[in-house]
Amino acid sequence: MIEPAPAQYTEEFEVNMGPQHPSTHGVLRLLLKMDGEIIKEAEPYIGYLHRAIEKICENRTYNQCLPFLDRVEYVTSMSCEEVFCLATERIAGMEIPERAEYLRVIMLEFNRIASHLIFLGTFSLDLGAITPFLYCLREREDIIDLFEMTSGQRLTYNYIRVGGVAADIPPEFVPLARKFVNMFQDKVDDYEAILTENPIFLARTKDVGIFDKDMCINYGVSGPILRATGVDWDLRRDDPYSVYDRFRFEIPTGKVGDTWDRYMVRVREMRQSNEIIRQALDQLPEGGTRAKVKPAAFKPPAGEIYTRIENSRGELGCHIIADGTTKPYRVKLRGGSFTHTQMIPEIAPGVMIADLVAIFASMDVILPEVDR
Amino acid sequence: MAYSNPFWKGIYNLLIGLGVTIRYLFSHAITLQYPTERWPMPERSRGQVVLLSDKETGKLNCTACTLCAKACPTAAISMDRYKGEDKKWKLSKFDVDFTICCYCGFCEEACNFDAIKLAPKYEYSSYDKESLFYDMHKLQEVGRDVDYTPKRPKKKAAPTPAVDAEKTEGDVKTDSEQPPTQPESPNDKPTKPEGDK
Ligand code: SF4
Ligand code: SF4
Repeated sequence: MIEPAPAQYTEEFEVNMGPQHPSTHGVLRLLLKMDGEIIKEAEPYIGYLHRAIEKICENRTYNQCLPFLDRVEYVTSMSCEEVFCLATERIAGMEIPERAEYLRVIMLEFNRIASHLIFLGTFSLDLGAITPFLYCLREREDIIDLFEMTSGQRLTYNYIRVGGVAADIPPEFVPLARKFVNMFQDKVDDYEAILTENPIFLARTKDVGIFDKDMCINYGVSGPILRATGVDWDLRRDDPYSVYDRFRFEIPTGKVGDTWDRYMVRVREMRQSNEIIRQALDQLPEGGTRAKVKPAAFKPPAGEIYTRIENSRGELGCHIIADGTTKPYRVKLRGGSFTHTQMIPEIAPGVMIADLVAIFASMDVILPEVDR
Repeated sequence: MAYSNPFWKGIYNLLIGLGVTIRYLFSHAITLQYPTERWPMPERSRGQVVLLSDKETGKLNCTACTLCAKACPTAAISMDRYKGEDKKWKLSKFDVDFTICCYCGFCEEACNFDAIKLAPKYEYSSYDKESLFYDMHKLQEVGRDVDYTPKRPKKKAAPTPAVDAEKTEGDVKTDSEQPPTQPESPNDKPTKPEGDK
C-alpha cells in the first residue's frame, strides 16, 4: 500500500543574485524573494563599485578630472568627457573650433555604436546565443582601433578636452572610418538575421518585461528604454548640443515597451548613428581642434550649471558648481543606469528569474555608472 | 503558403541565421596567435611611461622642471631635484609608480623638453608589486629604443637652459610630495601651445 504523500507545502525563500553573477554586468546584488521560479520581491543593493569619483574631481583641476570621468562609464567614455567639457565650456562661455565639434560628434557616435554592440553581444549571451557576441566584438574592435590611433587608448580615451579635443585625427582615420561606415549596415543585417526573427529569441523576448510608459516617465527613465515604450524623446534632437542640429537622423521608437522593442530600438539606433557619422565625415571642416586654454591654470568664473547629453544609456547629466578657482567646487553626475536600476523592484514581481536576466540585460545597465 | 505557418516560419528564420554563421565559417579568421604574432601598435598608443634620453649623448632630456609631476592627476610621479654646480636643476630621483598611473598622458603633454613619453609598450605585467615601481634608471633603460618626434626644433645648445624651467605655470595643484622650491611666476607665458601634435 502506498503511503499518502505528506501535505504539500510551499514557502518563499530568498536568494542572492550577484554580486558575482555573470548576468548582472558588474557587481549588482539583487536580493530576490522567490516563490518557486517566480519572483515576489526584488531589491537591488548597489555600491560595490563606488570609487568616489565625484569627490576626486573636487581635488583636481578641470583637465585632471577627465581621466577619472572616463572610468565612470567605461563603455562610452567619450560621452562622460563630453558632458563634463560641455558644462565647463558653458560656464566659461567658451567657443570651441568647429572641427573639434565635428570630431566630437564622430567620436560620440562611434562610441554609441560600440556601446550598443556590447549591449547586443552581452544581451544575446545572456539569452544563450553566443555567436552574435563574437560578431559584435569583432566590429567593436574596428571602432576601438580607430579610437586608439586617434587618442592612444582603447578604453579610457581622455580625448575630448575642455576647449576642443586633444589632438587632430591622424590622416588614415577618415578612409578607415568611411570603410567602417560603408560596411557596417551589412553587419547589422547579419546580427538581425541571427536574432530578430529567431523563434527562440522571440520566445524569450516578445511580451516579456513590458514597461509602462507612465511608469518610465515617473521614474525618470530616459534613453532607449523610454523610446522603446513609444515616447519620442532624444536629447540630441530635443535639447541639441554640439552640432547635432546639422544632421538628419531619425529617432527610433518602439510600440509595446517589451524586451524585444528595447533590442530593436538599439539596433535601429546603431544604423542611425552610422548615418550621422557618414554625414559628419562628409561635412568635416578644416581648422584647429582646440581653443586656447592653459590646462593647468584654466579658471572658469564662478557659476553653476547643469548640462545633459544623450549617451547610449539615456540622459547623462553633469552638474558643476564652479567657485572661480582652478578646481570645481562640486561635480555631480547623473547617469541613466542609476535611474534604471531603481526600477527593478517595480518590474521584477511576477516574472520568472530567467526572464529577469533577459529584462535586466535589455536595460543595458552598467554598474560603474550606478555606483560611480 | 508554408511561410504563414509559425512552425515553418521559425525553421525558415533559423536557417537564415545559420546561413550567416556558415558564411563566416568559410571566411578567414580575424584573430591572431598572440604570443607569436602581435598587432602593430599605433604611434600615439599610450602604454608604459618612459624617460627619453638624447640619442647622441645618451643623457636624459629631463631638466627637472617638475611640470609633469604637477600635471599628473594621480601623483604617480614623485621626483627630487637639486641645484647642480652649473646652477641647473638636476634630477636626484624620478619614480613612476605604475600601480597608480592611469595612462592619461598628461605628463607627456606637460613636458616641453621631449623628456617623458608614453611609449607603445604594454608587456611589463608582473606578479610582484615592487617591480612596478620604476626608478629613473629603469625608466631610462626602457626608453632607450623609443622613437619620438621632437615637439619643437632643437636649439643649438644641446641641453635646454634651466631658465626655461623657471617659467612654469603657477597655480597648479601638486600632489607630489615634493613642492617646487623656486618662486613661481603667475599664469602668464604658457611654455607650450596646447593641443598641438
Ligand atoms: S600617464 Fe598620467 S597618471 Fe601616468 S604618470 Fe603620466 S600624468 Fe601621471
Ligand atoms: S616635465 Fe619633462 S623636463 Fe620637466 S621634469 Fe617632467 S620629464 Fe623632466
